[in-house]
Amino acid sequence: MAERIPVVCPYCGVGCRLYVLSEDGYPVNVDYADDIPGIPNEGGKLCPKGNAVLEYIKAKDRLRRPLKAKEEGKFVEISWSEAIKEVAERLGSYAKDDPNQLMFFGSARTFNEPNYLIQKLARMLGTNNVDHCARLCHSSTVSGLKAVFGAGAMSNTYRDIEEADCIIVWGHNYAETHPVGFRYVLKAKDHGAKLIVVDPRRTKTAWFADLHLQLYPGTDIALANAMMHVIIRENLYDRDFVFRRCTGFEEVARTVEKYDPERVEEITGVPAGLIEEAATTFATAGRGVITWAMGLTQHTHGHDNVRALATLSAICGYQGREGCGVAPMRGQNNVQGACDLGVLPNVFPGYQAVTDEERRKWFEGFWGRELSGEVGYTVMEAAHAIEKGKVRGYYIMGENPVISDANSNRLLRALRKLDFLVLQDIVPTPTMEFADIVLPAAAMLENEGSLTNTERRVQWSFRAIEPPGEARPDWWIIGEIGKALGFDSSGSGGFSYSDASDVLREINACTPQYRGITPERLRRNLAGIHWPCPSEDHPGTRFLYRERFLTDDGKAHLAAVEHRGPVETPDEEYPLMLTTVRYVGQYHTLTMTGRSPSLMKRWPMPYVEINPADAAKIGVRSGEWVIIETRRGSYAARARVTGTIKEGVVAVPWHWGANVLTNDALDPVAKIPETKACACRLRKASEEEARKVLDSLPAPVPGGE
Amino acid sequence: MAKRVFIDFSRCIECRACEVACEREHGGRSFISVFEWEEMAAMAMNCRHCERAPCVEVCPTNALYRDDDGAVLLAPQKCIGCLMCGIVCPFGIPELDSLNKIMMKCDLCADRRAEGKLPACVETCPTDALSYGDFNEIQRRRRGRFTRETIELTKKAEGFGLLQP
Repeated sequence: MAERIPVVCPYCGVGCRLYVLSEDGYPVNVDYADDIPGIPNEGGKLCPKGNAVLEYIKAKDRLRRPLKAKEEGKFVEISWSEAIKEVAERLGSYAKDDPNQLMFFGSARTFNEPNYLIQKLARMLGTNNVDHCARLCHSSTVSGLKAVFGAGAMSNTYRDIEEADCIIVWGHNYAETHPVGFRYVLKAKDHGAKLIVVDPRRTKTAWFADLHLQLYPGTDIALANAMMHVIIRENLYDRDFVFRRCTGFEEVARTVEKYDPERVEEITGVPAGLIEEAATTFATAGRGVITWAMGLTQHTHGHDNVRALATLSAICGYQGREGCGVAPMRGQNNVQGACDLGVLPNVFPGYQAVTDEERRKWFEGFWGRELSGEVGYTVMEAAHAIEKGKVRGYYIMGENPVISDANSNRLLRALRKLDFLVLQDIVPTPTMEFADIVLPAAAMLENEGSLTNTERRVQWSFRAIEPPGEARPDWWIIGEIGKALGFDSSGSGGFSYSDASDVLREINACTPQYRGITPERLRRNLAGIHWPCPSEDHPGTRFLYRERFLTDDGKAHLAAVEHRGPVETPDEEYPLMLTTVRYVGQYHTLTMTGRSPSLMKRWPMPYVEINPADAAKIGVRSGEWVIIETRRGSYAARARVTGTIKEGVVAVPWHWGANVLTNDALDPVAKIPETKACACRLRKASEEEARKVLDSLPAPVPGGE
Repeated sequence: MAKRVFIDFSRCIECRACEVACEREHGGRSFISVFEWEEMAAMAMNCRHCERAPCVEVCPTNALYRDDDGAVLLAPQKCIGCLMCGIVCPFGIPELDSLNKIMMKCDLCADRRAEGKLPACVETCPTDALSYGDFNEIQRRRRGRFTRETIELTKKAEGFGLLQP
């Protein structure tokens, strides 16, 4: 009889529960968690990826033994003790010389515990050069929301989305990227809620919209300001809330005054009447939620975009009560957790700034080492620092920057220059080509630990499957390296742990938001606990800011921001605007879904979406090949000519490596690259030409099709 | 009363979770398909398990039969792969399994129903575009919802004074 083991789906930030049916550590099937009340996926619902979770686990090319590179991309198997020894020696020698030559990548694709450990390792070695892929997706959310409300997280839960009377979905193809989360939007619509979608494409989410504002990529601030203009002009804002709980309203009012809908229509391409209607609908709804994702954040003005939306939410008084709030939707099932636990170059666990002398002293006492107070490199800055010879060693845990980073050609050149790269992953990725040492990790379902979903809900996922070969849990690998580096004392000053629960107890001790989220509680309560949870008898917090905001003065710091477009806009040479998108059945860099036959069968390849008017100019029809070129690279895909995309804009999914095209210009605050808008040109191509372009790029699934 | 899969295509987001779930439960074959319409809507389609099923009527070997829940099932040992069921099906449901030389179709997840579970496509559907139950009961619920909405709208209209003489 198979055991029925509760796990958390290893894909997106919804954090769905499911069971793995396991016989002696071998997975025979999955089952729906329809018998656990209060979970994020009510009724045990799963999207196609959730249904296919066992397929990549069984992939034939799973990494089974530690590997050492003889030359670039050619590996020999070595033992764990050799691998740990070599990694520790190399890291140790760089650290001795100058710890800032090292860069550590945590991962939103693994548990809280290894994430805590990797930043602890980096910091104990003397550097704050630790970051992870949140930099590429929601760093602007974290910085933007922290600036306005004081905490860089979703302020509410799915229940609040369900209870809202108006939902704005901004730059977020909710139905496709978080299908199970979209359930709550439809449930809200069942009780009469209005849905406003802001997106340059008529997405599947827009199918359900009452109003669809089809803006040009990168014109978000102008649109948000125009909405606030209408709301303030018509006196529809929440005077009392603004007076009691916000600062900076006068400046906002002054700034948005010049953003009248007629003028903004010219900037955004959204009819003025529609802007008026959207603003009035949202402000008069009673309870309003704004959700957003990559379409808003991945801009050089991402930080300001987020502050503008947070301000829009606040002036309507949609904070600190049921059915309201802001809901940035996270892409990975533990990106919130990785941020919470300090896998960021500027904060210790619990968002405690490294520059705060008092907090640093506290952590110095806790970890027993002197710590650096200098803010470290972010993901993209580290890549640029390799070029300058400042960073020489990378430790990457479960990330695949060759596909995920903007302007990947530049990154490839940088990785070639790198002295030493350790890669810890479950399967070969294009990034592995550059690795010196490869450490085989157990996949999420082969491992146990805590995960924090997009609603700040921490859940425990149990070990359901035996890992292949000698693959080991992430927390174990980093613990061994830590011990080999000489951090072998017991307690919080070392890396001696007997299991993941041990690590979580240490997290409880140093992370205020997680104080009461103990492994014992999580194992008992499968629905998890929403942070902040300050003590063991605290039930967790459904929504933030009921009484006060988490800023120093407890008030929301409204932001008056001016519109600025993308750094690269269409011109004669590159006349079109390029944006990147996702498919529901594919996931990020294809490391998992690319090894899932039932998903590859349905979503086999990328299509470039082109408006019929633009397609006519180059004489291309659906199904024919086109080559997309930007100032940084070329990419090829088949065309899908469609009226769902705005004229002048083309969209391409990035799963297969389209980041060769995107722009790595950074937001000055959040340091997020502008992957959602850059100038490009298209030309029709023969299949032969197109294949030549694709063959020159790294294969997303090495050895695969 | 026979239970059926009800399709509310106004809720379908074309995520195709039903297809992947069906495929997993049926050894790599999906018996439900999602189709998009004009880039504006989508609908899942599986066997309707018709009350007067032409496939059952036409089957020359009685390979197609009805189980206790009213689902139309195929007895593989009796099927001769003559395709007649597929030809008469107005929805194009039965397909040929060319390896085993017999027909194949949706069995409403007979194995899952035996364990008291819902068909996999229904159980997984993230937006409840698919539901499973007594058809007339589902219709009754839909009528109920409609009346609730009507009353709610009327109440709101009263608030604005539109219904006063």
